[in-house]
Amino acid sequence: MSFRTASTTQQRQSLLDLQRTQERLAQNQTRLTTGSRITGPADDPTASAAILDFDNSIKVNTQFIKQADAALSYLTPAENNVAAVIEANMRLQELAIGGSTASIAELDAIRSNLLSMANAQSQGKYVFAGTATDTKPFVLANPNDPTSQITYQGNSGQIRLNLDGNAANPNQVVTNIPGDTVFFGAGGLGSSTDIFQAITDLKTAFNANDTAAVKVVSANLNLILSNLNKAQAELGGRQAGLENLKETYANFNATLENLQTAQAETDYPKVMTDVAADETMKSVTLSTMAKTNKSNLFDYLT
Amino acid sequence: MPGLNASLYLGLSGLQAQQSALSVVGQNIANVNTPGYTRQRADLSSNLSLNEGQLYFGTGVTLTSVQGIRDRFLDLQIYRETAKESGASDRFAGLNAIATSLADSGSSGIGAQIQAFFQGFQDLSAQPQSAALRTNLVNKAQGMVTALKTRYQLLDDQRNSADQAVGSLVTQVNTLTDQIANLNQRIMTETTPGANNDARDQRKALTDKLSALVGISVFEGAKGEYQITLDSGTGVLVNGTSAFQLRTSPGGALDGKSSVLLDVGVPPLNVTSDIKEGQLGARLDLRDNLLPGLQRQLDQLAAGIVQGVNQLHRTGFAADGITNSASAAPHPPLAFNNYFFVGDPTNPSNPGLPVGVDFTGNYKGMVSSLAIDPNIVLDSSLIAAAGAAGAKGDNTKALAMAALQTALGTVDLDGNGAGDSGTTYSNVVGNLISDVGNKVQRYETQTTAQQNLLTALQNQRDSISGVNLDEEASSMMTLQRGYQASARFISVINQLTDQLVNQFGR
Repeated sequence: MSFRTASTTQQRQSLLDLQRTQERLAQNQTRLTTGSRITGPADDPTASAAILDFDNSIKVNTQFIKQADAALSYLTPAENNVAAVIEANMRLQELAIGGSTASIAELDAIRSNLLSMANAQSQGKYVFAGTATDTKPFVLANPNDPTSQITYQGNSGQIRLNLDGNAANPNQVVTNIPGDTVFFGAGGLGSSTDIFQAITDLKTAFNANDTAAVKVVSANLNLILSNLNKAQAELGGRQAGLENLKETYANFNATLENLQTAQAETDYPKVMTDVAADETMKSVTLSTMAKTNKSNLFDYLT
Repeated sequence: MPGLNASLYLGLSGLQAQQSALSVVGQNIANVNTPGYTRQRADLSSNLSLNEGQLYFGTGVTLTSVQGIRDRFLDLQIYRETAKESGASDRFAGLNAIATSLADSGSSGIGAQIQAFFQGFQDLSAQPQSAALRTNLVNKAQGMVTALKTRYQLLDDQRNSADQAVGSLVTQVNTLTDQIANLNQRIMTETTPGANNDARDQRKALTDKLSALVGISVFEGAKGEYQITLDSGTGVLVNGTSAFQLRTSPGGALDGKSSVLLDVGVPPLNVTSDIKEGQLGARLDLRDNLLPGLQRQLDQLAAGIVQGVNQLHRTGFAADGITNSASAAPHPPLAFNNYFFVGDPTNPSNPGLPVGVDFTGNYKGMVSSLAIDPNIVLDSSLIAAAGAAGAKGDNTKALAMAALQTALGTVDLDGNGAGDSGTTYSNVVGNLISDVGNKVQRYETQTTAQQNLLTALQNQRDSISGVNLDEEASSMMTLQRGYQASARFISVINQLTDQLVNQFGR
């Protein structure tokens, strides 16, 4: 059979095909230049939402790495200070064994050093003050007398930071250690575990030349040392945990980024092939359109 | 036996018929590129013969009619599909224009801005007293407010432009229906049915245009007149020789947008929701359904954030560890309710949301009235990071607000006043993006499918009604030969007459 083809039919069909080829070309060129497979949400609605979800997870994880860093910025100075206190404690032990009234000046110096360590700050916050981070935690009873009793003005509050997105029961790290537990120990102010008290007691013993009292102080210093070691171990343990966590999050992010890239990235070989095919198609269509109207019966009428 | 004169007239009828038929070919060729033109065919028939005794002698040829070659059912189908095609492609264009910005998955997108805001709370939890981090949080909040507001505004702009388009489309529809009614008049009064080809062609071209503007159903009456109704079946646009006017009337539709009325009588018929397809149908759908649906999702998302943050914030303490909702001294004249965002503690349904925004209205107006509390903008130390009185370094409220980011059930999408299980801010944003993407994709596919169908139908119409130049050239040759032969015949008869009159009997 024969099907009538009007002169406009072919032109219309070719034009529609040409427009579609050009649209595809433009879209694929965007894919090539941006490197992203998705030129708009309509290209793949599911993947668009998934990419956003991956992006969100990566940012949240990065935020938790930052939180861990923030926690470390408090824990590390605290640990360093505790380590310095342990050094001071060892010197006190040496003095208790071999010291005399001649060591009193050194004892006063150690006491002042310990006081400034106890009032250490990180980023403007007192490290050993509990949650009262803007209150100087350890103060002299008489500010003009460096040998007067030292009391604790902070509190026992804990500062926690979240390390995961579990809203109901988050993984938290405590970033501080209250100063009274480090410097006053279990017994509290003025007790046998108060390092400042130990120095005062040692001075009194030297002045009185009381060897029995010196021995008591020496025993107390051992108790204090074990308390300090415990604090140091706790601070160090938390830091090690945070370092592990940071590494876990970093690895996790690397995996997520791979997954996200797999969803979002242009498949270059495929798109290049498509572009080449479409360009061929375009030139074929153009040449067909030019030829269609080139000849008809009127050309042969004389 | 017919006489020589009779033969002369016979030859003449041949000349005249071929020439008339040739002019029909000329008309076809001249209109080869006229949209909606229907090719015409000259119908020739032999004249009644004369009988002499038992013999019948022909008396030549007459052109009896000039017939348009058309399939009117195909025309009616094309009107319907044209409306669907333009409806889908306009919806696609309207949604595609906002899709890229609304579904921005980059750093300026809604998702990233919300993430940055809650990150601000996380940062603040590490140093609750830092003035710099408080200012940072206010800035991040401002960024999120702006991101939501610009998207909402974009949708509003798109709705307004659809609303304006409705007005101008209605005018165009009225012009077309008037012209179609006039052409109906000319077709109904034609001398022989089907004779007025050009009026029919014009009417078809106008109805094609009309169907791209508004979804219509067309019926052809007994006298060839078109009866045109809206595609929903309600509302008559053209009935025979009379056309009914559409007009817009301010107010009456969603959000005070103008409604479309059809002047069929008093009172006029409201047809705003009866126009489904065509550009007009698409614009009305965008204006009243598709875009407001996306705006609602933004309102719900913003309400979820504001209510979550405000309720926690109200129970917290400012940077001095003392100021809370009871003791806060407002910066006159601004009242302070210890909310982070502007909110109303006496809102009956959703305390913490702004006045007049609640679940009963699907949180409508939330994004429009979204703002950071002006007291907090003036004095960021009022941000309540601490959870206990007197503890300046306490960060429990900051932590709790930061945790909202990944908390479940924070957004109320079904409008029942309680957060839907499983919703988080980020997956509501994800849903919004895939919703927009799916809609754009759906109308894109539909447009392509309709285009294909319409092209096929138009090709079919052309195969019946379109002009083929080769065909016309061959008709032209045949008619030219016919004309030449008739002329030759007349010249032969002339020679015979000459023979008889001048040469006979010499």
